[in-house]
Amino acid sequence: MIDLFRSYQPVFDFFLFSLGLAYSQQAALRAGVFSVATAGFSALGAYACAILVKTYGAPPFLAILIGALVGGAAGWILSAPLARLRGVYQAIATLAFGEVIISLALYAEPVTGGAVGINSIPKSISTWHLLIVIAAVMYVMHAIGRSGVGRSFDALRQDETVAACLGVSITRYHALAFVISGVIGGLFGAMQSLYAYNIEPGQFGFSLMVSVLTAIVLGGRSSLIGPVFGAAILTILPELARPLAEYRPLVNGVILIGVIVFLPQGVGDAMIAYFRRRRDAARRGVSVEKRSVVASA
Amino acid sequence: MIAQQLLNGLISGAVYALFALGFTLIFGVQKVLNLAHGGVFMAGAFIAYYAVVIGLPFWVGFLLAVIASGLIAVLIDLIAFRPLRARGHANAEFAAIVASIGVDLILISLAQKLSNTKVLSFPFGTFPVEFFRFWGLRISLLQITILATLAILLLGLIYYLQRTTFGRQIRAVAISERASALLGVNSTAVYFQTFFIAGAMAGIAGVLIGLSFNSIHFLMGEPYMLRAFVVVVLGGLGNLPGAVFASLLLGMLQAMTVAYLPPGLSDTIIFAILFIVLLFWPNGLFGGSRISVGVGRQ
Repeated sequence: MIDLFRSYQPVFDFFLFSLGLAYSQQAALRAGVFSVATAGFSALGAYACAILVKTYGAPPFLAILIGALVGGAAGWILSAPLARLRGVYQAIATLAFGEVIISLALYAEPVTGGAVGINSIPKSISTWHLLIVIAAVMYVMHAIGRSGVGRSFDALRQDETVAACLGVSITRYHALAFVISGVIGGLFGAMQSLYAYNIEPGQFGFSLMVSVLTAIVLGGRSSLIGPVFGAAILTILPELARPLAEYRPLVNGVILIGVIVFLPQGVGDAMIAYFRRRRDAARRGVSVEKRSVVASA
Repeated sequence: MIAQQLLNGLISGAVYALFALGFTLIFGVQKVLNLAHGGVFMAGAFIAYYAVVIGLPFWVGFLLAVIASGLIAVLIDLIAFRPLRARGHANAEFAAIVASIGVDLILISLAQKLSNTKVLSFPFGTFPVEFFRFWGLRISLLQITILATLAILLLGLIYYLQRTTFGRQIRAVAISERASALLGVNSTAVYFQTFFIAGAMAGIAGVLIGLSFNSIHFLMGEPYMLRAFVVVVLGGLGNLPGAVFASLLLGMLQAMTVAYLPPGLSDTIIFAILFIVLLFWPNGLFGGSRISVGVGRQ
């Protein structure tokens, strides 16, 4: 059993990293902020952490903490101008943010190493660290979800005008969502840099943005369990079907279209909704089939 | 020297414009970002390349590429966008972006498989290499072709949208699909047309860009996609002449930054400008909140 786990450990670590970034993306989407800045946040966190450890010899724990803080600060700064934008415009602006970060990383060669990136970073992150951090992030997300903040986020996502009329401050909660997204993104970016020995600008580009978005669309945008499903399916699917590994983008593409067309809430959210319906139906003594017929009529 | 730089910038701007026209047309009509546009563009270049390689004359390959990429765009609409429109749910923008990213991934993956991840280039002499000189400037036949194609496409598109019945229908659907349906406009046909036109233009752009840089590869759409965001935001989302002006501006700006600033800063400046314009003039630099595809009937 242990041996089996050993051989799949890199896959499992990959899953944990995708899961962490997926939570960063979810934090924004949940509040109705159409941000795709997660890749940029994680790039900032990764570079901050790597530079601190390599150039200044900072202890890994402190470096990761500062990486997360840098991500959060970027989210906070970004939230002020982005409060003016909505929807597609927000997506484009956060995309531009990511591109600026990458092109700066390419340009500032003395600090960031340019296109080569930063190499031979001492490895100090193992699966256990990742697991602990993921557990902490999940707990925080769960706590936020159960609190008034989570309800405000949900209200903002569903209808901004109604939420504002009910006394939810749009600016403040959007800023909070950006900060949470930034902290989580920076945190996992920083851990990535202490896990993988090297970082380069290319790994934080458009493709990272797409894969993070895929995980969250596939899993679900509002439930805690959603990103787990999304990241797990995206990690396991290419492993299950080795011949498919070569066609990974193609499989991801088909999944994206299929899910957004047939299961727009995502696998996790749809399952939760299904079980909730069943439970309610059982309480009222109506069979699920009958209810679903009524619902579709 | 500056004049030559500006001319080069103008031409690379024209190249961006060829790409951005279809992108902004789809946004103007349907209010969604079609992120698969880069994939269609790449498909156009690939089709022309393989047509030339199997021995067809270049113009046949070009024609094939234009028609095929138009059809691919229509197919994208059928597979990815129509089910979303039919559902008409609240998060339409998000859903459309996700679905079109999915299509883009499929196209890129197929092209990668087809080309074995290699960079392809048209055989030498596919397009006559000729240079003209005037006022101390140098311009190639291909560059003149690009400028002329852009001018013809822009004028043709504006004529089509403003002066024909089909164009009026497209504009009506852009304003309100429901109201135009009540007035007897077949919105399915309108979407078919807009996607075909946008796809065909992406195909034209793909072939011309593949020719002028002499490189065709499966990721060629991505940088143009990112530039197209800048262009359509500067020009105003859905504004066709605005997109062309913004492209030309962007091309010249880029040529200037590359020539006179430290290397590597060009992208930073361009995307920083995008960010700033989005914040202060979200409707673009050219005019107010009107979307030219959706201007009222005359």
